[in-house]
Amino acid sequence: MRLKPDQLWSFYEWLIPQQGLLQGVALALTLSLFGLFISYVIAMVRLGPGEGFYAVAKIVSDLFRLDLPGTRFSRLWAIAKLSFMEAIRRKVLVVFVIFIILCMFAGWLLDLRTDHPAQLYITFVLSSTNLLVLLLGLFISTFSLPADIKNRTIYTIVTKPVRATEIVIGRIIGFSLIGSMILGLLGVFSYTFVVRGLKHTHEVASISQDGRQGKTDLAALHEHSFKLGADGKGVTSEAKGHQHNVTSIVVDGKTTYKIGPPRGDLTAKVPVYGRLTYTDRRGVVGTGLNVGYMSEYRKFIAGGSLSSAKWQFEGVKERDFEEQDGLVIEMNIEAFRTFKGDIITPVRGSIILRSPDEKVESKRVNFLVKESLDRKIISRKIDGFRDNQPATLDIFKDIVMDGKLEVIVRCEDSQQYLGMAASDLTLQAIERSFEWNFAKGYISIWLQMVIVICFGVMFSTFLSGPVAMVATMSTLGLGLFGSQIDHFFKVQDSGGGPIEAIVRIVTQKGVMLDLDLGNQALEKTIQNIDYVLMYGVSSLKSALPDFNRLGTTDFVVYGVDLFDSLLLRHMAITFGFFLLTSFIGYFFVKTREMAA
Amino acid sequence: MSVDTQAPTNAPSSVAGSASSEVVIETRGLGKIYRDFWGRKKVNALKSLDIEVRKGEIFGLLGPNGSGKSTTIKLVLGLLFPTSGRAFVFGKEATEVTKNERIGYLPEESYLYKFLNAEETLDFYGRLFDMPANVRRERSEQLIQMVGLHRARRRQLKEYSKGMTRRIGLAQALINEPDLLVLDEPTTGLDPIGSREMKDLILRLRDQGKTILMCSHQLADVEDVCDRIAILHQGELKELGRVDSLLKVQDITEVHAKGLTEDAKREIAEVIKRHGGELLQIDNPTTTMEDLFLDIVRESDARPGRRVGS
Repeated sequence: MRLKPDQLWSFYEWLIPQQGLLQGVALALTLSLFGLFISYVIAMVRLGPGEGFYAVAKIVSDLFRLDLPGTRFSRLWAIAKLSFMEAIRRKVLVVFVIFIILCMFAGWLLDLRTDHPAQLYITFVLSSTNLLVLLLGLFISTFSLPADIKNRTIYTIVTKPVRATEIVIGRIIGFSLIGSMILGLLGVFSYTFVVRGLKHTHEVASISQDGRQGKTDLAALHEHSFKLGADGKGVTSEAKGHQHNVTSIVVDGKTTYKIGPPRGDLTAKVPVYGRLTYTDRRGVVGTGLNVGYMSEYRKFIAGGSLSSAKWQFEGVKERDFEEQDGLVIEMNIEAFRTFKGDIITPVRGSIILRSPDEKVESKRVNFLVKESLDRKIISRKIDGFRDNQPATLDIFKDIVMDGKLEVIVRCEDSQQYLGMAASDLTLQAIERSFEWNFAKGYISIWLQMVIVICFGVMFSTFLSGPVAMVATMSTLGLGLFGSQIDHFFKVQDSGGGPIEAIVRIVTQKGVMLDLDLGNQALEKTIQNIDYVLMYGVSSLKSALPDFNRLGTTDFVVYGVDLFDSLLLRHMAITFGFFLLTSFIGYFFVKTREMAA
Repeated sequence: MSVDTQAPTNAPSSVAGSASSEVVIETRGLGKIYRDFWGRKKVNALKSLDIEVRKGEIFGLLGPNGSGKSTTIKLVLGLLFPTSGRAFVFGKEATEVTKNERIGYLPEESYLYKFLNAEETLDFYGRLFDMPANVRRERSEQLIQMVGLHRARRRQLKEYSKGMTRRIGLAQALINEPDLLVLDEPTTGLDPIGSREMKDLILRLRDQGKTILMCSHQLADVEDVCDRIAILHQGELKELGRVDSLLKVQDITEVHAKGLTEDAKREIAEVIKRHGGELLQIDNPTTTMEDLFLDIVRESDARPGRRVGS
């Protein structure tokens, strides 16, 4: 699983130092000012400059003076309940039936020969649930208000003391409720589907003479081998991402072997991530090497030199690791070979654990670079050095200080390189419950659904049903391609923005040439307009939800406990969208002639 | 402008037309132009309307289709925004939502949620007034009894007949015990009995001190219940005044008498002639179709299974 660097931020880090809050406030301000300006222009055309200003000011003051203080839970709930019942009447529960049918034919869609059936199953249920629920949110939210206006049922609503806020927010609540209900149903069904789908047992197919080693039969397209300890207990080898417990039971002098249910395929690992810095060949802190790949995801360190990668971990607590045999490190380090040599022998690396004050460090722990996910357990008691004197150390008592620990990785083969990104080396704390992680995955889908509903309701306040649906879909689509759009709209050193580009096309000037229109002022004007255009689109882009980033399916699929900070951040973002769309929706309901 | 915005006292103004001077609805130069998407003028639906509706009266808006009656009502309710002029209800701008606390509105057709039943409908609208649960229950019960839907209370509105829909619509409009009732074509779609009941109810509500603004093109209805009327035509106010004085023909005298012989009638005719009057008509009156119909229904209710008059 590849993590984006920002996913590792803590909630606070995202909110304040990384300007999450600031960007939200800036966006809100920009949109409000923009919205007020547009409203004023429209009002001015209709009513004249003075009256127009009064009309816009009245709506803004109404919001804070009357409508927000006048919003009552009773009315919100009435409208929410009505929306809920309306959705039920529209037979939204059919979605559940569709899902069940989809699962019944899952065998046709899923290739069970894969190495990780658990990942396959979870991907299947999560992505199909995600799609279904988002579509559901889209349909129920965009058609409701336009239908009310078309059937004129809205007449009996707006002639009651119902505030515009209640019409918008009540709907969002109602549709979110029905969505939650369906999502809950799908979640429970999916969980059962995954667990039952992965459930299988083996029989012992062969056993050695001493009864210590054996092989299981072929079941669910795989088999295991196993070894038993002196106590008659053991675990099978790993196949298809899981193992089984094996116990031998002696009854009446006859030995039978019992193989338990699969374990280890449904996990919620808790990785601790660190901050990565590199040192160059002379041991000076640097940026890491680029071995010539386009992707800047991993940076490389040179072998047989002082070049190293240093991870600084924080919040390493003894109790999070206690029940394990030692410190579990998971690595996914890439090797880059400058000569072929012996291609079968892996490149060698080494790990040193060091205290943050650099006074205590472990001896070098060598490893072979597996070039795929590798799990290494460093036992708790380890030889090392304290103030350069040899000593026997306890990782958690002697090396870790205030929860801080440094892990240094070097490449031991000269002229070979090791490549790593921050998320490529993690400390593994005790696993958490898979069920809760699965639930968190669904909470994440729920948040996406709420965003869709918010946008759907917002668009339905001023567009007709089908148009609102297309508008919502376009918003989500644009959001999905947000990062790409950003790339297009970044003001670049050469070539300029849209207008300059048109000029260049017409005048057949390549991007590397100066624009040179023979008129400096004109050039400057074009560039300024371009800048405003591109900056505008780029900032508007952040008003669109990027579901690539909000999707957390990977965490559940790869069995990694979804970071609470990330979930919290997504909640905050969802809340931001809720505020934004409610405000815009309020504005349109307030200014719309319901009988027109 | 001096408009009393205090809550009205509930003292009934027992006799028709005893409206107080308190103004409930006031329009000043109210006008509405419908425009198309591009802002081009499509129709001038209402031109500078000035009316005042006082507390405790039944005010009728009369006019042919497209005369601006419904537009006026929608402007008063804030469903439309005026193009020119202003409308005030209880002294507040018509677009202000808080005025709705004291208004009950029965739309032209009962635009209600068809998937709710009568109880749910009333409960829903009760919630919109932020009424506490026990009050909502009590009030719904009263209204269901009043409009005679107690047998159909659990049926979804989509199964209702037109008359029943009308009645639940009325109940919905009365859920908040409004001081002002706005009725858009209250009798359309009702049979003569329903129509009579509706009219009686309107009069009863007036006697309870409520103000009623209604529009209709059923002249008989307006004549029966309204204290004052405004006649609109092509968006313009053509006539405004008390129904009794508007309809009174000053130079004609009407005498109703019973048990007169032909001789007596002849004698009366002579008396008229002697006093310089002109006899226009002396005849037996015909009853109205409505009265005839109601008599028949009443009779057949009393003696079922028999042809009336046989």
